[in-house]
Amino acid sequence: MYETLKNILVSTLKVAPEQITPDATKDDLELDSIAFVELSMELGKEHDLHISDDELFDMETVADIVALMEERAGTDR
Amino acid sequence: MTGLDIAVTGLGLVTPGGVGVEAGWAAVCAGRSTAAHDPTLAGHEVSISCRVPDFDADALLGARRAVRLDRFAQLALVAAREAVADEERTTWDAARVGVVIGTSSGGGETFERQHGLLLADGPTGVSPLLLPMHLPNMVAGQIAMEFGFHGPNLVVATACASGATAIGVACDLLAARRCDVVLAGGVDALLNPLTMAGFARMGALSRRTDPATASRPFDADRDGFVAAEGAAVLVLRRAEDARADGRPVRARIVGYGATADAHHITKPDPEGRGVIAAVRAALADAGAAPGDVGHVNAHGTSTQLNDLVEGRVLAGLLPSGPLVTSTKGVTGHMLGAAGAAEAVFTVLAVEQGIVPPTANLDTLDPELDIDVATTAVPLGVELALSNSFGFGGQNAVLAIARA
Repeated sequence: MYETLKNILVSTLKVAPEQITPDATKDDLELDSIAFVELSMELGKEHDLHISDDELFDMETVADIVALMEERAGTDR
Repeated sequence: MTGLDIAVTGLGLVTPGGVGVEAGWAAVCAGRSTAAHDPTLAGHEVSISCRVPDFDADALLGARRAVRLDRFAQLALVAAREAVADEERTTWDAARVGVVIGTSSGGGETFERQHGLLLADGPTGVSPLLLPMHLPNMVAGQIAMEFGFHGPNLVVATACASGATAIGVACDLLAARRCDVVLAGGVDALLNPLTMAGFARMGALSRRTDPATASRPFDADRDGFVAAEGAAVLVLRRAEDARADGRPVRARIVGYGATADAHHITKPDPEGRGVIAAVRAALADAGAAPGDVGHVNAHGTSTQLNDLVEGRVLAGLLPSGPLVTSTKGVTGHMLGAAGAAEAVFTVLAVEQGIVPPTANLDTLDPELDIDVATTAVPLGVELALSNSFGFGGQNAVLAIARA
């Protein structure tokens, strides 16, 4: 899931790959509310992971988002 | 005489001639059309356009910035950066720096793409960036964000006169002392299939199959314009301030005329009454007589009606027979950017003493009695006009004088 998230951040949101670490916060990556809508759309459309932008926005770090993605993937199965 | 005296102290340009003032001016002076077959318009009634070559938005603006900008804002931001880099900003008070940009309809490419996603995926398929990328006002907002300018921030829309109107509005802001510096210009990037289909259906575009000869202003065989994209930004200041700061002045804007034909949605008034009034207003602003005009950068779209009416007006109004050119023979019609880009070309013409040619003028329309440059002509010009007219009958004329 970490790689999935990293790929979306790099390819869709154009975040520099070297900035992305598990501890990086949304402020570190300069992700605003619009970015989380884009992330939510991409996860739903391309990865069948349905997480709202509000849920994603509540996460602090990349690791938190990955954990939510893993939890939601497990729930959906 | 109202004494309008606005200094042009910086120039920025992105045109089908290339990125930058130097590339654009070289292309225009060379007099070769930039039109080409456009693969994105394959299957269209008209499939030629003039695109900006080698525009790498990621490299020029950074991928993170570029991905959130429609192409129209990308072009404008690059032009603004060049214009501002041409100036020394240490004396600017950011609270007194304004931005006025003309555009005909904003981010058309984004709007069309997102409409496609709406049809394909439903409402939740639409990007949250639709409005920040599409709204016309965003281009001025983005320029202000780029530099931290907090003065009046405006976008004007007068169709293909937009770029010239923006410069005129900027001059008014400076003359009224609402600003000390204004970045003014125009932009459009509307070569998207929907917009191009609209232009083709209304019969505005040339149907010639050879791109190189399609845009032919004032020629007897002209049959429509070639659509283009581009952006131009000028740094404007009151001339007295620029001189006090010791800034090099490239030319001065000394007159602005703005009128409406109030006649038809696309056709110009056949008598040219709106155009005549706009030229007269610009000359009155400049305190100049018709005989003082040495050069006119015409609107010159290469459509039957525009060139006929404009040419007749110039012949009747300017007895000195100024050397006329339409740079659209080279660049195509940059729509909302055209008036600003042509103001830049006019500034360069008076600054450098060169009137650029009109490409593809083989046989002057026999209805016209004007002197049109067909090669680059060395000519010292004290006063020039730059004409711009838009659908809806909106006219803007700028009077530009040697510094």
